[in-house]
Parts: sequence; structure tokens; C-alpha cells
Amino acid sequence: MSKAILTDVTKCIGCLKCVSACKEIHHLGADVPRVWDKNDGLSAENWTSIIAKPENHYVRKQCRHCLEPACVSVCPVGAMHKTELGPVVYDSSKCLGCRYCMMACPFGIPRYEWDKAVPHVEKCIMCYDRIEEGKQPACTEACPENATIFGDRSDLLKIAHTRIKENPHKYIDRVWGENEVGGTSVLYVSDINLDFLTYPTKNFDTPLPEETVAALDSVPYAFLGMGGVMLGLNWIIRRRMKLGGGPNKKDGDSHE
Amino acid sequence: MNRVKTTKLLLWLFAGFAAAVALNRYIFGLGVTTNLNDQTPWGFWIGFDVMAGVALAAGGFVTTAIFYMIKREEFHPLVKPAVLTAFLGYVAVIVGLLFDLGLPWNIWHMIIYWNPHSPLFEVGWCVMLYTTVLLLEFSPVPLEESSRYAKIRNFLMRFRFPLVLLGIMLSTLHQSSLGTLFLIMPARLYPLWYSHILPIEFFISAVALGLMMVAFETLLSHWLYRREPETELVGKLCKIATWVLGTYFVVKMTDLALTGKIGMIFNGSWLSDLFIVEILISTLIPAALFAVGKLRRNSTAQWIGSAMVIVGLVMNRIDVGGFAMVGGAASYTPSWMEIAISLGIVSAAILVFLLVVEHFHIWEIRPEDPQSLPEVSPSFDYSSRTWLGTPDVSSLATHSLAFVLSFAVGMAALSGKRLHAEGVDSIVVRPATGVDTLCINGNRDNQFVEFPHEAHIAWIKTHAVSLTIDGVIDSISATKEDSCTFCHHFNLPGERLSNCWECHTSMYSRVDFFRHDWHTSARGANLKCDDCHTPGVTRTAESAKQCAACHPAYKFAVNTNLAKPAFYIPSYVDAMHELCVACHKAEVKEVKGKPELALCTSCHKTGTPPELRAGMKWKVSVPHYDNVVLPNVSTVEK
Repeated sequence: MSKAILTDVTKCIGCLKCVSACKEIHHLGADVPRVWDKNDGLSAENWTSIIAKPENHYVRKQCRHCLEPACVSVCPVGAMHKTELGPVVYDSSKCLGCRYCMMACPFGIPRYEWDKAVPHVEKCIMCYDRIEEGKQPACTEACPENATIFGDRSDLLKIAHTRIKENPHKYIDRVWGENEVGGTSVLYVSDINLDFLTYPTKNFDTPLPEETVAALDSVPYAFLGMGGVMLGLNWIIRRRMKLGGGPNKKDGDSHE
Repeated sequence: MNRVKTTKLLLWLFAGFAAAVALNRYIFGLGVTTNLNDQTPWGFWIGFDVMAGVALAAGGFVTTAIFYMIKREEFHPLVKPAVLTAFLGYVAVIVGLLFDLGLPWNIWHMIIYWNPHSPLFEVGWCVMLYTTVLLLEFSPVPLEESSRYAKIRNFLMRFRFPLVLLGIMLSTLHQSSLGTLFLIMPARLYPLWYSHILPIEFFISAVALGLMMVAFETLLSHWLYRREPETELVGKLCKIATWVLGTYFVVKMTDLALTGKIGMIFNGSWLSDLFIVEILISTLIPAALFAVGKLRRNSTAQWIGSAMVIVGLVMNRIDVGGFAMVGGAASYTPSWMEIAISLGIVSAAILVFLLVVEHFHIWEIRPEDPQSLPEVSPSFDYSSRTWLGTPDVSSLATHSLAFVLSFAVGMAALSGKRLHAEGVDSIVVRPATGVDTLCINGNRDNQFVEFPHEAHIAWIKTHAVSLTIDGVIDSISATKEDSCTFCHHFNLPGERLSNCWECHTSMYSRVDFFRHDWHTSARGANLKCDDCHTPGVTRTAESAKQCAACHPAYKFAVNTNLAKPAFYIPSYVDAMHELCVACHKAEVKEVKGKPELALCTSCHKTGTPPELRAGMKWKVSVPHYDNVVLPNVSTVEK
């Protein structure tokens, strides 16, 4: 029962109502351009933004709530958490501020409160508290055109494919978020290419946490292996010294 | 000249300067101290302090492996300094992390909140454990100073071999895991640096870097204390390093060739050039240098070679840690404050190293600077019988002074502006243009607001309205006769309807409306303190005379918060939003048929405003308070 958001770029009119609704519900501060902003409209005070593209195309950018999120896998204290309902939420009380989540996110979503002496990571949480109560996120509720809708991921995928099938000339035959990095909980259908939302990557469809699995799995072997190699070397060398009547038989403590 | 004292003087200067910057970091946050941003959240501190720091401290485990495990007894003189360097190195890494982490007081959370899927979790634990191991490995040295601790020392000595073994095993893990950190960023890290065997590359290069660090540190400390250089021994280190560097190069190139990225080295881009330089400095040139037996035993070549490896591999860590990221170099260059902090941490670590070396039995001979050594009577210490009296290697007064002075210089160099810390560029608002329909574009970008002024007047003339804006304006109201003051809520002296931008002068940051300095300056109002503040009472904004006392012409159209202690008024953007949006929202609620009034896009337009198209010149500056009618101070009632 994983929840998701489907955004239809062809329907968006760029009214920014989702942005204001988000700001209001999460009590995000005034929008001030800062020197550390990335130029996609997202900031610690803006969890979703509208990117204007040529010919009246408006693309909403927000956290994609990956099915296998990189941010969750890298956080050393587990401050990022993928809930069963779908949203990836952040626990500021655990966070130690290493910003690894910001580095690992393939969509470059998490933002930092660089101006604060006690800074936290800020990103869309898909209105987790509202979803738990059975309501829908503020942004989808605010959308006047139903360009961005909320529902079960499987249902939304069906809707997305139906829309593409019914209007094959209008849409590009692809649901963004269906397979990228193992699938995301924020889906897009569009008549323009949306690859600008992510960093370019070759192995696009594998979940990013899998990249580190091999290395992390070999950790115990490397640990014990190195110990074994060292002990083995030490044993051989000591034995050689003994047999050859080596210069000393002190136990690695010859500076006494 | 006393080399030791001069070096220490420099180090104290760096440390003092960094201490001042450190205050800035903890009081105002990362934004003002670093150039880090949302595009490049990891920068110089992670690259240099943490990643390069850990690799530089690899000398500890490499030397102990050579000495204790492979039993190359001739390296004995290097073991204690190498372990000390490693320990101080790891402490420096942790201190560096305390600066880089956003919430450094939560660093211990790694102990109680576990996420074993995170490479950083593994690195964190390894670093914690290894630092402890290093402390235990090294502590017999200070403990030997007194026979009182003999028992503890003997106890620790018994566990020396397993400790060393554990240290090597832990080092293997985290030296390589630092590379694992970046495996999850195949899209962000430039392909020349990204590799699935990054952990292996990191481990091999750490071994090389550790060896060269030990060599460099030996050369440096021998130069510092004018001791006989151990060229022979360092030469042996260089020989091992040649092999390690060779392996590193072969592994790296093979990997690039197998993944088909080798062509990228020569594609002429900025990053590929950086890669070539890095490989040349860190690997090829030093390996070639040390491959020649004669050069390897030449101390000048040793200096150059080891320094090159250190610079090159530190560069490698900084590149991987943020510089060679997509958009990394374009959006980020370290700020002077970042560099000052790193320099300060390194300086402090070296100072502690020198302190320990001078006071404990690290070397066979107690260090001194023979050229400046005064005649001292030898003192006999039971634990170190051969050592001479206190060497002339420190100067408390000079070094304290250096620290304090550079701390002061550091404080002076900080901007101290709150605005700076908020990351807001100070933009002076420029006036709106047009007559009946105003074009509001305070920062003159290509977005503006079309404001039908006449239409608004007409609307207010037919309505009687009152409005409350939370926290800003208690209430404003307009009657049908007086439509202007609804928006023009405040008049400057001598003016009837002051424009928005005359008081809300800054685009995005709040401004101090009351200009205290102007009132006190001789070229301004030239007032004395007692003209506004009551003598004998603490001078605060509350106890001072209110504006209207001197400015009878001031018209407070509304009860604004001007009388409150801080005379801060919202930025231009906030002021406009608060007034316009509040009214629009109220109107949307009242009149159902006008939903578009609540839309951002109903007022905000993109493109070149019509006035600009006509080639009209913007009049930029509206001099502030030009038309103030100053009251005659002497006649104002006291």
C-alpha cells in the first residue's frame, strides 16, 4: 500500500498553488534568494518548486521518495527513513549534519539550512502526517487542474499508462519514476523530456544503494583477511628467524 | 636562527587565526564560514581534514605492520613517531569533523543509532576504534616517565601485538571504506575518479601516502632539530613506496582501460587536465624518481619525492571529496575561512607533536637545537639517563603573544554582518515605474509585477476596508474619502504619501528603519545622546524619545510596530507580499467569483516590462530623507 504522487506535465499551468500550499502547511519561511541556492527553486524554505520550460511547460520538482532511497541507505545514524506508506521522512533529532544524504541523492533534492547555527536537512516529506490521517498531501489537494494527483502507486502507474495509451501523440511513452533508480514514489508523465530532473547516469534503473552492497559485504572478509595475512606473514618470518638463528627473539618489542 | 622556535611561532600564528574563525563558524553557522552550497555540500573540510587526514595518518599502521608483523627491525626508530603522528592525525580528523558537521554535538549518535548499510557508519566506527587503539599503542611511551605507572605500562605492553594487529585490520577497513562512500554517486563523481574499485584504490594510495608521510615527517623533524638525517632509512621507505605507487598506477589505469574510460584522460576538459596533473604529481614523477637507486638515497630527492606524493594524493582526496563532482568546481571554491580552519587544525596537531617529542622518549636522543642551545648543566633523570637538560626550544611569551595577536587579526577579518550569515545579497530596491499602471521591479530582473494603481484607488474609493496583518500591522483601515493611506501607511516628514521603496530599501533583507548613526553624526542631525535619551537611564530604544517627539510632521497613518524596540521593518518583497496578499486573500474569501486574485501569476509577470522596452532609462537612486524638515533641536521640549 505504497502511496505516490503522479504529476502530469501537460496539465500543469504553473499557478504555483502547490508551492504556496506546501509553504503554508509546513510553516516554511519567506522565500529569499540565498547565495548557496541551486537554481532549481528548491531551498530550505521551498520543498517543491515549479521549473518553467519553453513553450509553457511547467515541471514540478520535489523529493521523489525513491523506493530504495540512497539517502536512507547512506545516513550513518538512520535519520532518513522510508516509511511503509511511501514517504521518505527525516528525523532531525538523530541527524548529526554530515550531509551525506545531500551528496548521495541522485536527484539533488535535500537542502541544508546553511544560515543556521543549528542547521537541519530540509526536504519534502509528502505530508507524512496528513497521509497517516488518511488525507492527501497539501500540494495535490491545492492543484486546481488535477495536474498532480495522489494515490496508491500501483493505481497511479495504471492511470499514467492509460493516459499515454489514450494519447500516444501527446505524451512521451515513458513514466518517469517507474524504473529509475529502482522506482520512485513520485511519477511523471510528460510531453517533454524530464531527464533534467536527475544527474545523468548510465546504469539508470538499478537502485543506487546496490552500488555499495558489494563493497560493504566484503568488509568482514577484508577485516579478517588482512588479519590472517599479517599473522601468517609474522609466523613465517619468525619461524625463519628461529631456524636461521636470527638476530633476536624479542617479541616485537626490541626498543626496550 | 632557532628553527624550532620560528616554526612554532608560525604554527601559533595559524592556530590563533583559526581560533577566531572557529568562533565565527559556531556562532553564525556554516553558510557564512564556508562556500559550501546545496550543489556542493561537501568541500575542502571533508576532502582535506577528513579524507586526506585519515590517509595521511596511515603511516601509523603501515610502519607498525612493517616493524611488528614483517619484523624489519631497522625501521625501529620510525615506529614511535609514526604512531604518534597517526594518533594526532586521527584526533585532528575528529576535530575537523566537529567543524564540518552541522550538528557536531550529535557526533556520538553513531554509537546508539545504527545504520550498518551506510559506509559512513562503518568509517565512523572504525575511526573511533582505531583512535582508541592508537592511544593504547602509544600510551606506554608517556607512561614510562614515572615508575608509578610501571604496572599499567607492563599490562599494555603485553597486549601490544594484538593491538597492533587490530590496528592494521581496522585501518584496512576504513582506509578503503572512505572510497566506498563515493560508490553511491556514480552520477555525480566524474568518471575518471569514479570506479567500482575505488575502495581498493583508496587503500593502496593510503599505504603509499602513509609511507611518504613518515618519510617526510622524519626529514622535517630532523631538519627542525638539526639532527643527522636518516637518509638510509628514508631511502628504504622510498623503495617500498615505489612499489606501492607502481601498483596504484597499474591498478588505476587497468581499471580505466577495462571500463573504457581511458580515452577521457586526454579529452582536454578541465577535469581531465586536473586528473593528469594529479597522477603526475602523486604517482608517476615520484615513482620514477625513487626507482633510481641513487636518487632514492639522496636527501634532496627524498624531500621532493615525498612532498609530491603528499600533495598529489591529498589533491586526489579533495578532488574525490567534492571538486571533481558534477558542477562541483563550478559552484565551489573553498573560502579563506575554510582554509584558515584546516591550517589551524594542522598547526595545532604539529604543535602537540613537537611538545610530545620534546618531553617524552620518542627518539633515541632528546631533541634540541644545538645552535641556540645555551650551556645547561645536565640533569639526570632515572628513566632517560642519557638526556641533557631542558632544551631551548620554546618561548612562552613570544608564542602566547603570537597566538593572541593573530586571534585578534582573525577577529578583525571577520565580517560580523548578520546579513552575510543569512546568505542574502544586499540589493537596494529601485523604484517602481509608470503612472497609471505601475511596473514594480525592485531588483530589475526579468520578473516584475504589474500593479494597476488607478484601478486600486478606484476600488478602495468604493469600499470601506480595514485589515490586520499578523505581527506587522495591527490594523489599517480606509474610509471612502481617504483611500491613499490604506496602502501608504506611513509618511516621512515633509511628505504626504511616501513610496514603498523609500523605507523598505532592501529587496530581501529587513532594514533598520531608524538610522541611529545618521542622527548622531555631525553631517546628519548632529544630536547628542541626551537629546533623545534621558540622562541617568540606561540608553535603550525603549527609554528613548519616540520619533514623533521631534518629528511632528511624521504621520503614522497606521499603528505600525515602529515604536517597538527594534526599528526593523520587513524587506521590500515581504512588505509588498504582506500588504497585497493579505488584502487579496480577504477579497477572495468575500467575493467568490475572483479566484485568480489569489494566484501568484495574476500579478507576477515574466519578461521585459513595457517601460524597459521603450528604452526608458531607470532612475536608480532615490536619495533617502532628502526632503526631511528637520526640527530645530534647541526648541524641542526636553
